[in-house]
Amino acid sequence: MAMSIEELKEKILDKALNGPKAQLYVKDFHAIDPDASPRAVKNAANDLVKEGKMVFWSSGSTTMYAAKGRAKDEETREA
Amino acid sequence: MPKHVTPLMDELEKGPWPSFVSDLKRQAEKNPQCWDIVGQMELSYKDKMTHWKHGGIVGVFGYGGGIVGRYSDVPAQFPGVAHFHTVRLNQPSSKFYRTDLLRKLCDLWEKHGSGMTNFHGSTGDLVLLGTRTEELEPLFYELTHELNWDLGGSGSNLRTPSCCLGKARCEWSCYDTQAACYGMTMKYQDEIHRPAFPYKFKFKFSGCANDCVAALARSDLSAIGTWRDQIRINQAEVKNYISGANKPNGGGVPGKTGFDIQKEVIALCPTGCMWMEGDTLKIDDAECTRCMHCLNVMPKALRPGLDQGASIMMGAKAPILDGAQLGTLIVPFIKMNPDGEFEELVEVIEKCWDWWMENGKNRERLGESIQRVGLPTFLRVMEIEALPQHVKEPRSNPYVFWRDEEVPGGFERDVKEFRKKHAQ
Repeated sequence: MAMSIEELKEKILDKALNGPKAQLYVKDFHAIDPDASPRAVKNAANDLVKEGKMVFWSSGSTTMYAAKGRAKDEETREA
Repeated sequence: MPKHVTPLMDELEKGPWPSFVSDLKRQAEKNPQCWDIVGQMELSYKDKMTHWKHGGIVGVFGYGGGIVGRYSDVPAQFPGVAHFHTVRLNQPSSKFYRTDLLRKLCDLWEKHGSGMTNFHGSTGDLVLLGTRTEELEPLFYELTHELNWDLGGSGSNLRTPSCCLGKARCEWSCYDTQAACYGMTMKYQDEIHRPAFPYKFKFKFSGCANDCVAALARSDLSAIGTWRDQIRINQAEVKNYISGANKPNGGGVPGKTGFDIQKEVIALCPTGCMWMEGDTLKIDDAECTRCMHCLNVMPKALRPGLDQGASIMMGAKAPILDGAQLGTLIVPFIKMNPDGEFEELVEVIEKCWDWWMENGKNRERLGESIQRVGLPTFLRVMEIEALPQHVKEPRSNPYVFWRDEEVPGGFERDVKEFRKKHAQ
């Protein structure tokens, strides 16, 4: 049985905060709950962005998710 | 007065063609930050490397697309382009603009950005080039609240759908491309504004096989108008072409005299499905691939059939990770009914997305996923039986794979029974 949206959000945030990779593709969250539909996972990750706990990082062609503060900040990054 | 010495960029102002460098210099008279664009490009040309940093966490609240972060890696030298974010706006269907709206948009962009634009990006968006992070939210507020204009797609989102002129200007359009483009844009707002996919996904809508938006080459899912009954023939107009009373190609080849229907139409038909019987043109419609060549040459004599809809191709892409691909025909014909909210199209789209969201790898376009699993597997996903239209020609590929359930008795064999018959 798929997790509730709140459980899903909690696990996604935990992975984004404590996982080895700072920036993750939406597919990287699918393994958290194999029973959840990709749309449910996407919606949960997007909710976390709306709540200000996660951010989008985009190259323009691809978008990744990161916990707030863990994403690469291009403004301050040395070239 | 130029801020930087730019001999390499100045070269690009020479010649009879329009120059973006001249445009930048003209805009710089109003907005001095544009001098720094010219200056940084001069440095890039000299160093033979880009001085843009790529991407970032910029955007507007609630949206995961539409803004592409750009920063200079030499901001002290060129402070005017320290931040130079790109804003993608959802263009109107077929790019029909109201001039008063364009004037307002240009005023707004001069207020909040560089004033430089790109009409249009290759996906079709109206692109606003260059603004600072702190200008994004005020710009977005005024765009949406005063101009009623929305951002387009970027990143791993559904990209801004685009379409040809369709029935607005074209007698060949087999469905209302603008209605389809607008309908899908509104239906899939969430997918346009929030990343949902393994990578980008593009829709394009062409009304006929002339494919004026190059959907076949540029979109993960293209709907190309077609028909499934007979080409409508006006034999009197055919005779007028043969006699020279009608100019072929609508007179689109200046200076051309004479018209040879055999050489210019019949011999060029890719399936050889046309011939003359006396002075009557005959077409074997069952063999016709709806390529549009004969209709293009003799538009007064030939028109698309009346049972119209679209063919759905999937998997086209430009070469980023893998080589360029044209779309592959997946659904030979569906009806494109605006009154039914394009129900058949929506069913195809969602079936494909559900599979790709689960099975597509990160940064893998749909066409690459299809190539990886093979067309037969993808057709099964789409619940479509393989059809003659899916192959170019029969029996040229020896690798026919049968599945267990397609073979009487399956692949399981009793070896002892087999040996009884064959162990001589």
